[in-house]
This record gives sequence, C-alpha cells and structure tokens, in this order.
Amino acid sequence: MRRSHLIAALVVFVLSLLVPLVVQTDYMLQVLFRIYLFAALGLAWNLVGGYAGQLSLGHAAYFGAGAYGLALFSGRLGVSPWIAVLMGVAVALACALLIGGVSFRLRGPYFVLATIAFAEVLRLIAKNLPEVTGGDVGVQVPALFHGNVNRAFYWAAVVLTALAFATTLAISRARFGYYLLAIREDEDTALSVGIGAARNKLAALLVSAALTALAGALYASLFLYVVPDQVLSIDVSNEIAIVAMLGGAGTALGPIVGSLVLESASEIFKNIFREAHLLIYGVLLVMVVLFLPEGIVGTISAFLRRRAMFGGIQASAKGVAGD
Amino acid sequence: MDFYASVQAVINGLLTGALYALVGMGLALIFGVMRIVNFAHGAFMMLGMYATYVLFTRTDLSPYLLFIVTGILLFAIGYAIYFGLLRPIHGKSDFMQILLTLGIGLIATDGVLLAFGADYHQINIPLLGKNLRFGQHLSVNAPWVVSFGIAVLLAFALYLFVMRTMTGRAARAIAQNRYAAPLMGINVFRVQAISFAVGIAAAGIAGGLLLPVFYIYPQVGDQFTLKAFVMVVLGGMESIVGAALAGLVLGVVESLTSLYWGNEWALAVDFVIFLLVLSLKPSGIFGRQRA
Repeated sequence: MRRSHLIAALVVFVLSLLVPLVVQTDYMLQVLFRIYLFAALGLAWNLVGGYAGQLSLGHAAYFGAGAYGLALFSGRLGVSPWIAVLMGVAVALACALLIGGVSFRLRGPYFVLATIAFAEVLRLIAKNLPEVTGGDVGVQVPALFHGNVNRAFYWAAVVLTALAFATTLAISRARFGYYLLAIREDEDTALSVGIGAARNKLAALLVSAALTALAGALYASLFLYVVPDQVLSIDVSNEIAIVAMLGGAGTALGPIVGSLVLESASEIFKNIFREAHLLIYGVLLVMVVLFLPEGIVGTISAFLRRRAMFGGIQASAKGVAGD
Repeated sequence: MDFYASVQAVINGLLTGALYALVGMGLALIFGVMRIVNFAHGAFMMLGMYATYVLFTRTDLSPYLLFIVTGILLFAIGYAIYFGLLRPIHGKSDFMQILLTLGIGLIATDGVLLAFGADYHQINIPLLGKNLRFGQHLSVNAPWVVSFGIAVLLAFALYLFVMRTMTGRAARAIAQNRYAAPLMGINVFRVQAISFAVGIAAAGIAGGLLLPVFYIYPQVGDQFTLKAFVMVVLGGMESIVGAALAGLVLGVVESLTSLYWGNEWALAVDFVIFLLVLSLKPSGIFGRQRA
C-alpha cells in the first residue's frame, strides 16, 4: 500500500468520525451505523471467505455468540458490560475452534453446509433453552453507551470498521496473508510446499470470529434486546457474505463498498417492499455472480490494472515513435 | 411413554419420511449426480406448495390431481433456470453456484412473500377429517396415507428414470466422468438441464403433496433445503436410493425426537446427525465412497 493510500484511509476515517457533526437525526445515524457495522462484518468474513477462500455461511454463530455473550454474562452473572463483551468474544473463539476443527477438514459445498448447520444448531439451542437464553422471547442486553447513544454507537462501528480494515491490511501484507491466498488458489499445492492449511485457516477464522463477535455485541447493545431469530439466523450469515462478495471478496476495500451499496439499497427497498426487502439481496447476488464475479472493487481494480498496462504500452510506443 | 406411542411415532415418521425422500431424491439427482449445488431446493418445494395452493383455490380440483400440473410447471421453471442462469456459469467454482442458487432462493421466497404476504395458508379437503384406525391405539390421518402412496410411486418412478432411461444413464455417465461423457456423444447441457428440472419437479411435487397436511408460508422451504442436503449426505452422494432411505430415517428420527424431547428439538437433531456424519463418515451411511 502506498503512502498516499494510507493517508486517504486516515482522512476517510477522520471524516467518518466527524459525520455526526453534520448528520443529527437518529434515523440517519442508525442507517450509517448499520453500514459501518456490516462493513466491519464483511471485512471480518473476508479474511476467511475472501483471502482463504473458505465460503462460510455460518458467521451468524460468532455474531450471535458476541450478542448473547454480552447479554448473558452481564445479565445473568452480573459481569460489567465491557468485560462481558470480551467474554462473548471468548465464546465466539471457542465456537470457531470447534466449527473450524470439524468443518475445515471438509471442502467445497460440504464446508459451506457444515458452517450453516453449526450456526443453525446454535440458533435452535438458543431458542429451545429458555431458562438460559430466554428462548424465543429473548433477553435484555445491557447498554454499552449512555447519553447520546446513536452517536456513540455510530462511532463505535466506525472504530470497529477501522480495526477490521487495519487487521485486513496487516494480514494481507504479512506472510500469513500469502499463505491464505496460496490455500485459496490451490490447497493441495499449498500443502505440498509446507503450508499448514488447517492451522492457517483456523487462525484466519479465529481473527474473523473475534471481530464478528465484537460487531454482534454492538448490534445487540444498540437494540438492548436480542432474540435468536434476529442474531443467529441464516439471514445474518447470508448478509455478511453478500456484503463481502458484492464489494469484492479478497480485496481490502470490497466489504466496505459492498456494505455501502447493499445497506443503502436495502434501506431504500425496505420502504418499498416492506418485509420482502430480502428480494434485493437475491437480485444483487444473482447479478454479482453473473456479471461481477469479482465484486465491485475487484472488477474496477482489474479494469484499472488493464488500463494501466495498456496505457504503459501506448506510452512506450509513443516514446519509440518520438525517437 | 408407552409402546404404542412409539409405534405411532414411527408410523408418522415413515409417512413424513416418504415426502422427505422425494425432496431428497430430487436433490440427490441435482447435487449428488449432476454436482450442481442447489441452495434453492427448499424454495422450489415452497413454489410447488404455492402453485398447488393457487391451482386448488382457483379450480377446486383435488390437490392429488393438481400435483401433476405443479410438477410440469416446476419442470419448466427448472429447465428455464438451468439454461438462463446456471449454464452461463458452467465450469465456475462451486461457490458461484452456491451464491447463485442462494440468490434464486431469496428471490423466490421474497417474491412469494410480496405476492401472497407472510400469512399462513392452509387448504381444507374433506379427506382431512378421516382417520384410518388400526386396533385401539394406532391411527393415521387419511391424507398422509394418500400422500405417502403417491410419494412412494413417484420415488420409484424417479428411480426408474435415473437407472433405466437414456437420459438417466447419460446423467450417471456425466457423474462418472464429465470429460469422457461428451466424447461419447452425450449432450451435457441438455442432460443436466433435464436432470435439474426433474429434481426440482420432484421437490415441487413433494411440496404439493405436503400441502393438504401442512401450513404454508413463504419461508416454509428454508428448512427443507438443509434437510435435503442432510439426506443426500446421509444417503451417500451419488445414491438416489440412499437419499430416499435417508429421507425415511430422517422422518422417523424427527418423529421420535418430537415424542421424547419435544418438537422444537427435531431440527437440531437433524443437524447434529448431519455434522456427525460429515465429520465421522463422510461417505454417508448408505454410501460407499465419495469421489
């Protein structure tokens, strides 16, 4: 990453933090919160789904672990909320160890199905153990912020996105990131040159799960209430994956762009289609697969690369002609 | 729990299981044999339910006749979707198919939601009030028996289609070796389209047969997508018969789970079995070896 890019990222970060000075309405702040939250979630998913190429459709498990971790450790055990958030992250990490341990031995569609099944089992457990989780009725979540909550949650989501983005950059430039790419491109070849595929995939999943759990805790705390079908449903897993795929899996900017597009579109369509707003997710998914398989950012950067190469050839041709 | 309650649960489970089997066999043909990962399978079953529901409310004919129309309709939809959407990404990674079919499923579910609303619907046929009694303790609801009978016949027909017809043979040839099959003069796209459409028609017909004994709502198919995959994995990938047996097993397991632990755990038990099979014996209980 060039210095100019880094400066641009910092400028965007600072500008994002200043947005509440201009945007004052609760509704707009909540929409923006959602955009940043899903940007962070998409970035977290991207480590596993994009860089390591393991299409997880069960990220609701970690999201729910974060949400329920905060609610239960704080509500039932009386732990202070921020400590409970960290405990929720610990639960998500434990889930990731179990899920990754089993499902990373599977490939292709079996891996995807296993991740869905795990998240579904967690959802059903949360639904069916009302003594512990409150069941379908749900459970109260403590407030992480007081005072002007919408602004505070918005800032928290921006910071979380920045954290996820920085993590992504760090990983993508490290040896670890290249291992993940190698595993994605050809797992058998990666194994044959001595890259521990299972270990590296699991490490990526742990980082991803921790970030996802943080987002889950934020989400739950904003609504002060959590029910299984809201935070552990397959719709959450799908939305996270769609954000990343739409923007461009395996690119650092992709999930952010994806969240901006998907969440804005979803907000607009919510007003038109009411409860059928998932329709737009379906349409976008089909469009992405058919026309933009590399996502918005992936397609644009491929285009720019081609143009730069072509432009370079033209320039050198001109240079030769000039001589 | 007394003995008869368990027997009754097993009977009910087998009746449900036959309909599961039909859904599972459809997916076994699409996923197991054709290697098309169809995450919209349950959504197509749901479409079958709504198609039968609409036909029933318009024509007042018996759903036990209307499923034929539903089957033809779903076959056409499947055929069109194959050529319109799946063929263009032929040869791309599994993930693209997963995402595409996931998208198709969302469009189908939310399209129905938009058209019919989120309300539950149910149809009322005279047969619903009839029960067949066996002795003092056991009884079965008549529509379940009729649905069961038709499902078994259709499952057998599907088996014959895959094992005995030229198209079925071609489909299995493609499954065995997708590079050699076209060299033998098999039109891969046509065979895949027909297999995909037949598989989807099977799911749709199962939906139509479930209609008299089920509530319908737009998301009703969601759990069946996963259940169908559970059956295919349980039954051993390429085995149509395995998927059918797994459907029956799943029906009985769910029924017994409902009896002893409560209805709400039935689905969880499905998935736990699924994860155990995937991690311990990935070739499936009835299967031999996964390619």
